[in-house]
Amino acid sequence: MGTVYVTQIDAFIGKIDERLTVKAEQKTILDIPLIKIEGIVVLGRATISPAVVNELLDRHICLTFLTQSGRYLGRLEPEVTKNIFVRKAQWQAVGESQPAIHLVRGFVRGKLKNYRHSLLRTQREHPDIDLNNNITRLENAIAPIEKTNNIDSLRGLEGAGSAAYFGCFQQLIKTSEFQFEARRRRPPTDPVNALLSFGYSLLRHDVQSALNIVGFDPYLGYLHVERYGRPSLALDLMEEFRPLIVDAVVLSLINKRSLTLTDFTTEPLSGAVSLTKEGLHTFLRAYEQKKQSNFKHPVMGNKCTYQEAFEIQARLLSKYLMNEIEKYPPLILK
Amino acid sequence: MNQTEYIYIAALNQYAYCPHRCWRMFCAGEFTDNQYTIEGTSLHDRVHTTSDVQRGETWQIRAIWLKSEQYKLIGKSDLIEAESGQVYPVEYKRGRKGEWDNDELQVCAQALCLEEMTGQPVTTGYIYYAHSHQRQLVEINQELRQSAIATIESVTNLLETGAMPKPVYSKRCQGCSLYSQCLPKATDKVKSYQEVY
Ligand code: SF4
Repeated sequence: MGTVYVTQIDAFIGKIDERLTVKAEQKTILDIPLIKIEGIVVLGRATISPAVVNELLDRHICLTFLTQSGRYLGRLEPEVTKNIFVRKAQWQAVGESQPAIHLVRGFVRGKLKNYRHSLLRTQREHPDIDLNNNITRLENAIAPIEKTNNIDSLRGLEGAGSAAYFGCFQQLIKTSEFQFEARRRRPPTDPVNALLSFGYSLLRHDVQSALNIVGFDPYLGYLHVERYGRPSLALDLMEEFRPLIVDAVVLSLINKRSLTLTDFTTEPLSGAVSLTKEGLHTFLRAYEQKKQSNFKHPVMGNKCTYQEAFEIQARLLSKYLMNEIEKYPPLILK
Repeated sequence: MNQTEYIYIAALNQYAYCPHRCWRMFCAGEFTDNQYTIEGTSLHDRVHTTSDVQRGETWQIRAIWLKSEQYKLIGKSDLIEAESGQVYPVEYKRGRKGEWDNDELQVCAQALCLEEMTGQPVTTGYIYYAHSHQRQLVEINQELRQSAIATIESVTNLLETGAMPKPVYSKRCQGCSLYSQCLPKATDKVKSYQEVY
């Protein structure tokens, strides 16, 4: 068990002894030991007993609130660890410092290289389509990263690389049912964008929890500038994981036809698209399964799950900032 | 004058085991209960209920605080005994006789406190191993005293500066409850890692 997702509207989240119980319409729909829970995500409205709130804070379990369509609302954040040294190192690097530039390079490089591998794989598997132009554009964005010494220019390379990748995202979709034109957020007005945005919200919950455990202040980042209430460091560390987890889950669900257009609804006027209840469950299951899947960590050399990798990367980040390791290695998988 | 900060006797033990671990536990405030520490704690729960008894020739007192102003030490003792006017500490340990000699250091630190508190020299102490139900004699000799005092100085310095001793991978890491926080192999692994293009 990892993250508990509460999707039932007006559910009651309570606690009996050392167990978490979720009730709805007078029925218990979940009853599991608290010790097995790594995080809770509430989608929509739920009532939470004060005893559960205490218990979650005490056990350092993060609770995130999303709207039913997956938009981030806020979270219950347990106290960070007493490790003041991590936060001190984090603050010391803020701005255009050498460590900050190094880290931004790492986040951007990690994301773009993972994009590139994803395109190369598709190109290999489907010789009928032609992604070469976009792969070249991506490579042109990756190549100057190491020589680029200011964060704004690195942001520019990140933008150019992402544009190259999303410019051919439609070709990664193997069914004519779904169309993707460009990345659209707030609100997403087509199913593919809705799935991506929703997935990134879930990813953000997970990455932010890992940063919290390690002792970081998630609101102070390097690639993403500070803005009130924005977890910039979580957004930074998310970059390398986006293609590996969310994009992979979205493409696999669509291409295997686990999700079809009937799993989506469109709001009148705003055109906002979101998942039906059934579609939501399919998506959450796939996301959780992906997080619990194993791979060999390219740096540490041992087997781990993506769920564990969030914390490993956060620890490597802290080790870099505290001068224990000479560079920050973003998670790049072939 | 600065407010006096006392050092926990247990920190000496941790420092002798691994300075980085001592830093994580006592400076960075990280602590994970794994099997070892949980077992250790429940054993200590039993021991740490203050009582004072006379058993034949031996007087025993359990779970009292020991303190030394000279060394700025503080810690709870498992058991203090006195026989024919000689006081000595007895420290309880889970499992077998330790692979590492840091337990002796802890007994010696308790002896230093006892000497200051009673005004009498303490020349011996014991470690009681729960696994084998055996007591191991610890001789509080010059050599052990010196190494205890040196460790006290190192820990004092560590707590005052907060400077992190680098983790060093060794056999001890395998039984260390902080392994997944510390990742002691990371430095070398990152050094030799070649990022894929
Ligand atoms: S894992 Fe090894 S280096 Fe790290 S704290 Fe434990 S004993 Fe020390």
